[in-house]
Amino acid sequence: MKHVNWPWTIGFVIALAIGSAAATLLGNYWLFLFTGAVIAAIALKGIGLVAGRAGMIALSQMAFAGIGAWTVAYLNVWQVPGTLFLWVPIGGLVAVPFGIAIALPALRLRGIHFAIVTLGFAAAFDSILAATTFPGQTQFIQVPRPPGFTSVPMYFYFVVAVYAVISIALDIVSRTPLGASWVGIKHSERGTAAHGVSVAWSKLTAFAIAAFVSGVSGGLLAGQLQTLVSDSFNIMVSLIYYAVTVMAGAHLAEGALIGGMLIIFFPELMRRLNLPQDIGNIAFALGATQALSMGGSIAADLRGGLRRLRRKVGIRPKTYPEVMRKAGQITPPPVAEGARSVLSIKGLGVKYGQVVALDNVDVEVPEGAVIGLIGPNGAGKSTLIDAVTGFLPSYQGAITLDGGKLDGLDAHKRARAGLRRTWQTTRIPAELTVGSYLNMAARRGLAPAEMDEILQWIGCPHPSTPIATVDVGTRRLLDVAGVVAARPKIVLLDEPAAGQSYEESLFLAQRITEIPEKFGASVVLVEHDIDMVRKACNSIYVLDFGRVIAAGPPAVALEDPDVVRAYVGAVEEETAA
Amino acid sequence: MSFKLIGSLTAAVFGAVLAMSASTGAAMAAPECPDGTIKLGGISTITGPADFSEVPNATAAVFDQVNAEGGINGCQIEYILLDDKADPQVAAQSARDLVDNRGVVAMVGSASLLECQVNAGYYHNSGILSMQGLGVDAACFNVPSISPVNVGPFLLSTVMLQFSTEQLGNTQQCAMWIITGGTGEAYAEAVANWEELSGQKIHLVDNSVPFQGDYTPYVLKARDEGCDAVVFNTVEPQVVQMIKAADAQNIEGIDWLFLAPGYTVQVAEALADTNQPVYAGTEWEPFTEAGSEANEGWKAAMETAGLPLTAFSQGGYEAATLMIDVIKGIDGPVTREAVTNALHTMEPMEHPLVGTPYMFGEGDRHSSSRATKVMKLEGGEWVLETPDWFVLGD
Amino acid sequence: MLSLDVTSILAGLPAGGAYALLGVCLVFTYRLVAVVNFTGAAIGAVGTFTLVLLHEHGFPLWPGVGLGLIAGMLAAIVLGLVMVTWFSEAPAQTKAAVTVALLVGIVAIGLRVTGGQHPRPFPDLIPGPAFTIAGVVITKAAVATIGLAIAFAGAATLFLNNTRTGLQLRALSERPTTAELLGMRTRVLSIGVWAVAGIATTLALMLIAPQRPPNFMTLSLLVVPAFAAALIGFFRSFWLTLVGGLALGMIEGFTASIDELQQFRGTVPFLIILAVLLWSQRNERWDEAR
Repeated sequence: MKHVNWPWTIGFVIALAIGSAAATLLGNYWLFLFTGAVIAAIALKGIGLVAGRAGMIALSQMAFAGIGAWTVAYLNVWQVPGTLFLWVPIGGLVAVPFGIAIALPALRLRGIHFAIVTLGFAAAFDSILAATTFPGQTQFIQVPRPPGFTSVPMYFYFVVAVYAVISIALDIVSRTPLGASWVGIKHSERGTAAHGVSVAWSKLTAFAIAAFVSGVSGGLLAGQLQTLVSDSFNIMVSLIYYAVTVMAGAHLAEGALIGGMLIIFFPELMRRLNLPQDIGNIAFALGATQALSMGGSIAADLRGGLRRLRRKVGIRPKTYPEVMRKAGQITPPPVAEGARSVLSIKGLGVKYGQVVALDNVDVEVPEGAVIGLIGPNGAGKSTLIDAVTGFLPSYQGAITLDGGKLDGLDAHKRARAGLRRTWQTTRIPAELTVGSYLNMAARRGLAPAEMDEILQWIGCPHPSTPIATVDVGTRRLLDVAGVVAARPKIVLLDEPAAGQSYEESLFLAQRITEIPEKFGASVVLVEHDIDMVRKACNSIYVLDFGRVIAAGPPAVALEDPDVVRAYVGAVEEETAA
Repeated sequence: MSFKLIGSLTAAVFGAVLAMSASTGAAMAAPECPDGTIKLGGISTITGPADFSEVPNATAAVFDQVNAEGGINGCQIEYILLDDKADPQVAAQSARDLVDNRGVVAMVGSASLLECQVNAGYYHNSGILSMQGLGVDAACFNVPSISPVNVGPFLLSTVMLQFSTEQLGNTQQCAMWIITGGTGEAYAEAVANWEELSGQKIHLVDNSVPFQGDYTPYVLKARDEGCDAVVFNTVEPQVVQMIKAADAQNIEGIDWLFLAPGYTVQVAEALADTNQPVYAGTEWEPFTEAGSEANEGWKAAMETAGLPLTAFSQGGYEAATLMIDVIKGIDGPVTREAVTNALHTMEPMEHPLVGTPYMFGEGDRHSSSRATKVMKLEGGEWVLETPDWFVLGD
Repeated sequence: MLSLDVTSILAGLPAGGAYALLGVCLVFTYRLVAVVNFTGAAIGAVGTFTLVLLHEHGFPLWPGVGLGLIAGMLAAIVLGLVMVTWFSEAPAQTKAAVTVALLVGIVAIGLRVTGGQHPRPFPDLIPGPAFTIAGVVITKAAVATIGLAIAFAGAATLFLNNTRTGLQLRALSERPTTAELLGMRTRVLSIGVWAVAGIATTLALMLIAPQRPPNFMTLSLLVVPAFAAALIGFFRSFWLTLVGGLALGMIEGFTASIDELQQFRGTVPFLIILAVLLWSQRNERWDEAR
């Protein structure tokens, strides 16, 4: 793993070890509470993965914990060898198919429907749990702790070790393209699919892993209490854990721990203050509401504070030397005479109901060329990109990439075949860093040297920079960096210069002309900036009302009377409006 | 464990204890407390989905009155009551807090939806015993470390089925169980015990009654299956709901038998105008019997403390008075070991509120209270149906 | 056997009427203020328990009903104020998450105020049987619940499609900012929607509470079958939601009568939710789905 942040991981493990050692000094009672807090933190990590990263409202996570606990209880009653060492992971694995089953309806839908499905599942699990007995409970069979970890302190260390392993594993996964794609689908499913990520796979893995983690927490709880009680896993617990997840920011490692502490120590605090126990739930509800209204969480606020603190004490984030975004001479890339066609569009037609958006459009993109696609607003430029990249339900005509037929393929399969696009509005998830976004876009871990080269080439900040701190203009450049990093056969750029200054768009134009040679990809450039198109493109297609009204080298096509009329007409209309 | 076996076990323990009791006399004992107090703990569900605080409040009231009179041999009782809000994690925390941090010598007067199942093992491992003021879940009656003062829903179910057979002469007995928190096996055992005792077969058992939901289908099922009597283990809000559903469907000819949670003044008031025959089994001397001699001590204590006269408070009162007697019988410092030992070696103790003597002992499970007085609902009031204790197996 | 089946199916009707009415309320709030409201049943429980507490203290029935409805309305208005004040620009998903969080708090407060193990004597608003079919006595309350659901579904459909305010509200739920730019009094309108939904939900719960465990939490969780009903109506059609709610109640009644299925009757709403979603969303692909 090239981009695992080892210093962070090591720091986390050391902090955990010191914290655990310090906790030991407090005595068995407090250790028991801390054990509970860490187990709750593991359950919260499961919810955090689905709710915080993938952005779905998951209200049944304690049901998965219940399944894990149930499995452990059975393994115990059956006297299966292996003790909790083996039973806990098995419990997690048994929860996985349930997680996947719940995720199935979420493959096509997200958000609120998903919340309703999970609430329904929690209610259904509740009714089954209430009707049946945890195995061994009636016979008073206790769940033994694993050998060597039977005492309160030793079991605490065991639980902390499991937490550390899960945290580090999730941290590593979250830096892979798969982990980045979970954040991606939260932000924009289309944007993520355009990077060749299967949205279905991404959701399924997120849910399966979350179910596993929750299942593990259920098994650990069985070891802590040495007995199982169905009320640990009922619907209200799931709802409360969701509220705490939101409040604490449980997708972050420290957020899950903070949440676990809240769940365990709030009742303790109430007891010490002689206040009623149910105040905790009210506090969690208000805390979650507050977090939702501010768009933050306890952990995220802490991290923000830490960043500010680091800046204050003079620790600067890593940066590249300043790149002057200034263009030199802009010339279209050299294209060999009679170069073969990379992308070939024949007879493309798209209708939205009765409205014809594209009508019998033919486009050829030769290898190594930059092809411009221009036309007034509503001419069908973005529709053409959507059709080519697979984001329309249907179209007429035939599209081939490098001789291979694309028609009927899903968007992410087209992306994997070597067809990448950017969007008119940037769809980069703000939670990622520049580096992890680039990895997600490339669908592989880029070597540091390669990443540095791409970022410096286009004038983007250091990979460790959080995207939240990157300005919008630079994010548009990062869009381009992302698609070329995947080394596709062709990139389709949808108004990459929108919102850029004149200087910046010239710089971008020059970089675009370098793409074929540097990255081996042909370019389709959709732009309003005629000057940019004129300078950067080998040839252009002009669309109006869904038809190609002119095609050829810029100098020729832009002088075409139809084009002039279309543009002048458009300008007049705009002036009139 | 079969019913007979429990019976013979109990008998064996009784015999052993009786043999020993000649040498140990409470009159000789002098309990001591080095720091002036005896710490006792209780864990109850107070907030959350249920409120059982009447039980430990009565326990606390008894201790307050003893303390006001100078305590036990000069020792003040410090009773620490914690709320588990029906949350297993909080119940476990509370038990550790009481045992590890506060150093209580015994648990007494607890009444919780789930405390027994969560903490029985921990109590066992810590060498501490709990005299539950109200055993609710099945674990309360199935573990070595807990002996409740009440009959409990499972044994009471057997008793009510037997009452229906013997006293009401019903033959088509039906049982409807709300199975929550893993009580399915315990209720199945309750029915099996009755079948063995009565030699009859249960006509219908329905384990699917939801804790929440509309009871109309179940009322209709009882009618369509030809039940003479329905024993239903629900808690009191649902008692009202079930009978109202039966009234709404104009059901006739079914005796409705409920367990102790159905025996409250509020149920009687809510069902003032029903035509259904409604019975409820009590765990203690019926609290609505104003003139009962057996109730005098409890009534006086509750009135002094300004607490309402409810069945639950009888449990708390019984547990507190029994615990005081047990402690009084200890010779020397009242430590956890001493109390545990005293409970393990105690002889059965009579109490005016119950029909069978209370017992802890060293058995693997404890259920010493096995008698009920059955109440019948008539015109918005509970009327005593069995003036004498109806004891199982008599 | 057949007669028993009809009996058990009909026995599910009262519950079905309640699911239908609550489902219609959920669709109403979704279509008009774009909030999928997980507290949909809890706000009704607030009003219902107000009535119960007043009734317990000897307050006359019908004035108590009035005050209960006002309490339910106020609870809904408070919720609405939270939504328009802090979440008017938030995506639908965030709004739903807020209602989930508030559900936790409302249930905790509700249990605190109404808790305890004693039964709350629930007044029957409309006592007595209405008629008998297939050996099942259908109560007046059940008829009233279903009637109310039909009336509310009809009124909501008319209001949305045929009145100026209805059209404005639809515009508001789809494009709040634009609506504001057009000079609509979005705040007032939204709060009005919440108030109406609060009253209707409270009325629904008051009618069915005597048939239900009168416990704040279980009443609040009636939102699960109500969601199933609303999904059958695709969160759009009031009539389909009505039919869905009734069907759900009858299916539950039916499963209760079959021994093998009894244990799983609590899973009926979930299975219906799952089936409806898988079918209705089979063509949805991208984020545009809710």
